[in-house]
Amino acid sequence: MGDKAADASTAYKLSCTLNGKETEMETAPARKLLSILRDDLELTGTKRSCEIGRCGACMVLIDGKAVNSCLTMAYQCEGKSIDTVEGVSAGGIDPIQQAFLEEGGFQCGYCTPGMIISVKALLDGNPEPNDDEIAEALSGNICRCTGYGGIWRAVRLAAERRRQPS
Amino acid sequence: MLLNREGSGSRWRIRPDGPSKVTGQLSYLTDMTAEGMLYGLVLRSEHPHARILSIDTDAAKQASGVRAVLTYLDVPGLNAFGIAHPDQPVLCEDRVRYVGDAVATVAAETLEEAEYALMLIKVEYEPLPVLDDAEAALAPEAVKLHEKGNLLHHAGYSKGDLAEGFAGCVHVVEETYYTPRQMHTYMETEGGLFVPGEDGRLTVYAPTQHGFMDRMQLSRILDLPQQQIRIVSSPIGGSFGGKDELNVQPYGALLALRTGLPVKFHNSRWESVRAGLKRHPMKITMKTGTNAEGKLIAHQVRIIADTGPYSTLGAEVLNFAVEHVIGPYVYEHLDINGYSAFTNNGMSGEFRGFGGNQAIFALEGQLDRLAELHGMDSWSFRKLNMRRTGDTGPFNQPIAQTDGAEQVWSVVAGSELWKEKDKEQTSNQPPWIKTGVGAAFVMHGAGLGVGIPDPAGGRLQLAKDGKIEAVFGYEEFGQGLIASLELMLIEQFGFAASDLRIVIGDTDIVPDSGSTTASRATAMMWKSLERMRVPFEEAIIARATVAAGLAVDQLQLGEGGVRRKGSEELIISYEQLAQLEGEPVKSETSFHFPTSSVDRIGAHFMYTYSAVAVKIELNTLTGRVNVLKQLHAVAAGPVVNPQGFLGQIEGGSSMALGFTLTEDAVMDKGYYMTRNLDTYLVPTIADQRGDVEVVAIEQLPEGDTYGPRGIGEVGSVTLAPAIASAIRAASGKWVTKLPVQPSFLQEQPAFLQKAVD
Amino acid sequence: MGTNAHEQETIQSPLVWHPQSAADAWQLKQNFGADAVYAAGGTLLRTQWESGLAKMPAHLIDVSRINGQEEPIREHESGMTIDAATSLAACRSDALIARKLPLLAEAVKQIAAPSVRQLATLGGNVSSLVGDSLPALLVYDAQLHLFGGAGEHWEELSDWLAATEQALLSSQPASRLLIGITIPMPEGTTDSHAVAPAQEELVSKTKRFGAYYKVGRREAFTPSVVAAAVVGSINSSGVLEHMKLAVGGGQTIPRRLKELEAAFAGSELHAATLQRIYDGVLDVYEPRGDLFASADYRKSTAANLIVTELWKSAAEAVTGGW
Repeated sequence: MGDKAADASTAYKLSCTLNGKETEMETAPARKLLSILRDDLELTGTKRSCEIGRCGACMVLIDGKAVNSCLTMAYQCEGKSIDTVEGVSAGGIDPIQQAFLEEGGFQCGYCTPGMIISVKALLDGNPEPNDDEIAEALSGNICRCTGYGGIWRAVRLAAERRRQPS
Repeated sequence: MLLNREGSGSRWRIRPDGPSKVTGQLSYLTDMTAEGMLYGLVLRSEHPHARILSIDTDAAKQASGVRAVLTYLDVPGLNAFGIAHPDQPVLCEDRVRYVGDAVATVAAETLEEAEYALMLIKVEYEPLPVLDDAEAALAPEAVKLHEKGNLLHHAGYSKGDLAEGFAGCVHVVEETYYTPRQMHTYMETEGGLFVPGEDGRLTVYAPTQHGFMDRMQLSRILDLPQQQIRIVSSPIGGSFGGKDELNVQPYGALLALRTGLPVKFHNSRWESVRAGLKRHPMKITMKTGTNAEGKLIAHQVRIIADTGPYSTLGAEVLNFAVEHVIGPYVYEHLDINGYSAFTNNGMSGEFRGFGGNQAIFALEGQLDRLAELHGMDSWSFRKLNMRRTGDTGPFNQPIAQTDGAEQVWSVVAGSELWKEKDKEQTSNQPPWIKTGVGAAFVMHGAGLGVGIPDPAGGRLQLAKDGKIEAVFGYEEFGQGLIASLELMLIEQFGFAASDLRIVIGDTDIVPDSGSTTASRATAMMWKSLERMRVPFEEAIIARATVAAGLAVDQLQLGEGGVRRKGSEELIISYEQLAQLEGEPVKSETSFHFPTSSVDRIGAHFMYTYSAVAVKIELNTLTGRVNVLKQLHAVAAGPVVNPQGFLGQIEGGSSMALGFTLTEDAVMDKGYYMTRNLDTYLVPTIADQRGDVEVVAIEQLPEGDTYGPRGIGEVGSVTLAPAIASAIRAASGKWVTKLPVQPSFLQEQPAFLQKAVD
Repeated sequence: MGTNAHEQETIQSPLVWHPQSAADAWQLKQNFGADAVYAAGGTLLRTQWESGLAKMPAHLIDVSRINGQEEPIREHESGMTIDAATSLAACRSDALIARKLPLLAEAVKQIAAPSVRQLATLGGNVSSLVGDSLPALLVYDAQLHLFGGAGEHWEELSDWLAATEQALLSSQPASRLLIGITIPMPEGTTDSHAVAPAQEELVSKTKRFGAYYKVGRREAFTPSVVAAAVVGSINSSGVLEHMKLAVGGGQTIPRRLKELEAAFAGSELHAATLQRIYDGVLDVYEPRGDLFASADYRKSTAANLIVTELWKSAAEAVTGGW
């Protein structure tokens, strides 16, 4: 049996980069990242809603990819770079957020941080997405208020502005 | 006017609450924490219907970290709640009537300890027969769920002589329609923070649509004067009617007062599904007849609504449905009977559309069928039977008159989308893809209606720091109320956004403006500002004249302060004004939502008219329907806030899309089968790829004093029958049950049928 | 009332083991027995824990590191191999899979949502027995690389599914560990079902076809009602030279419809044949119905999709300039 196998324990020290800062914390290895963020670190921009990965309200970036923090366990974050909506907003209003503001891509706002995260992951990987790609990329983010009209407009505007920075 | 960003110019604004929402900085009430807080949970019934033989909380009370375990014995006041009629137990004593019924509540130092404590509570049940069908519940032999029986409410309306009416008809259509148990699916589940004060007061931070109603209900439960309770209720992560009734508040309040510590609640999704409200499933049977000219003569309707175990607003929803199964058409003979039945299914209650969604699906289905029997264009058939300007409302009651019916009808009649109806199905489609165009029409009532307290009002004041404060008792659950209020203050008074402070959602500060429900808040704010404008302007200018030594008629309100008329020169800033001595500068108003002068509970006075046309695509291989285009024509008076208006119609129609095609909180013998969002399917962005055009008709008749009509619900009520109509056009099949069953629309490929021939 | 994830996390948070080889993982499972569960992406497990369908185990055996291969998706002389721990997102964006295994690429695209696919693995999808990748893998004749008591071995996916279903029925779940999935590609074939018509035209007048379908309850992120895959070839006279069919969806364990494959090889695909294939699907496919979609609807949907694909392909083979 490999040495690492013997490392198992309930008291576990997670090392990762969180919103750009190297972070270490004691936690249980199977603890949900969502609980770590919201309850342990009080980063409440990441929202709790379905807790089975079906709504996207808890979306975070892990190594730049959108991932449901309710499905991610602490040990799966080891060595990873995690960005929450607080991290994305650290430098002020991001152009994606600006597009959501201008187009009315939100109403109650509860799905919005997760939605912003997914749009960021999409546009960072694919600056000129077509409608099929937008629909696929955001299919895991449920918005109950807008009917997605404002979200379609916001994503298209954000992509357009990336192509033609004003 | 086609509503969009381009056409709205400077009226299309970034919402004041936007930046904090898109950055995640906004703290929702379920995000709040407090030093030393406890976590609260509720133990709910294992059975849809059972007698409680015993409740043993000893082990739970002794468990680690547990600070309180409460049962019915610990409710100091009325052990019941319900907006209209309090009959839902806070904590059940001897009987449970649905799987969401609360039996005990626990507060512990950690969530995990609270969960563990729930497991240690021993409840002995004796299961009772389960009433899982509303009609069966109304049978005489059914077990009684309440002392008065299983009929929560009967609502009827009749005129003329039905038998005589049908005798003179050339066509009669009889059909039964079924609608689903739709879930609100607000993204933020119920919860909040409950903080006891040293002075014996309790502060409740929990979403609701009517803070003062919560305060009154909690006061009854806690046996505490209302002044001892403060409700802070916004912001809210979606509600759609679902958070108007109490949910976790009684438990948080009881636990906080018992332990003297702050208590946090935040429902899991399953807890929310299990305990929360849904839209009433209805079975609506209609028999409708026409004469040779195609005029509606007789209309008979029977509505059976499954209201679940307790009242909440079940009776009011039924009243609304009864009004809206009559709707925007004129008949000679009517006989409407609605029955709302108690069952052991989940709780039904208030939900955007408020019984209209079900009623309009059925009524518009009848209109389409009759038009076809007459060989008439379905839209012309509606025009023939429509109420005209000057006509009374569905209950023959006086209503606020508009030309809305005619206006929205014309928009659809003249639209490109409606003209596609008569085009040949395009030949470049594979043969198994069929398209169809359909349309539907509605007049949707706003406000609570005759006989129900429906207060409105608000306050404007110049605050000490020079901000103009607009203080209203309404709630922001996403609809954009704050944005609409800001825009009205800018446009009607000349203030700058930076002059303003909008104060809502705190019972210690705001006046009781009534509930934020029934598409009423924007209309009531508009009316309130109209009533306060002159006195408030006068009060500010009076103070300014003293300071500036200028006459009243030389001054006017403007951005940043009072300005000289004509030159716009700033005479004195609001901040400077606020520092001057004098009578407080404020204006208050309170009034009642306008109602009809008729003795008919629930009858409406103000209506919004809407017509919706859709184009759908049906894949007959799978039976699945895709909505390609939507056109919504809405006549609701002046558009207060274009972005908000568009968002309400787009969002409402998305909910209606789910209602029509995918959503149903399926129950089996009183148990929910759809416990989370893996089986309860609301539309995703991939389901919403079709264009949605919204045309707003703003004209009101000369002399109208009521201003903007409600638009919060109307987007959600008309899409289902329009889709059903388009399905008929595409497939030749009449849909009677929602959500539409793909198996019903599926066909074998034509190339096989040829082989069979 | 089941316990749920919150309670379990603190009161009995599992020990997480990170074996570096299949043998180590296997040994851990032997040691802990029913107290241990293998986890790759963990998405299904988390969902089951949250809903109370499964208890959080005392031991979690993280199998995401047991392969140690440089390239989790690799081509070799006998075909292509995908490590079980490869995320569905990696499968979705892999150029080799897109080119050589287009049906698998299409299947993966329609599983869950992109964010879930970052965690979820192909091995997990296969191991669930009802994953929507299975019909695609079945028509590719996928083989599973497994680790069991007797060491490593290979097994046909279709045999493994049938055997595992039997084992479940007799309540004797097999505890073999999935290491990888191999798609055999006999020497000389450029890919598994040929999508390069220009080259094909040179060597024969045969049209090769292939399609994957998923029908759910909404347009995206939906449990499947039907998941079906079909590949085959049709000559220019409209004769079906061969085909492979696999159908599943929902809680039905997918299977190859080999009885139909054999019965119709060599048949001319005219309307009467298509009707017989349609009837054949209704006859041999036995899906599990549920509250959302009946078994009958699942059958007729599968039959509709399969015969329509054959009809389209036959029309193209005969008239499409092949």
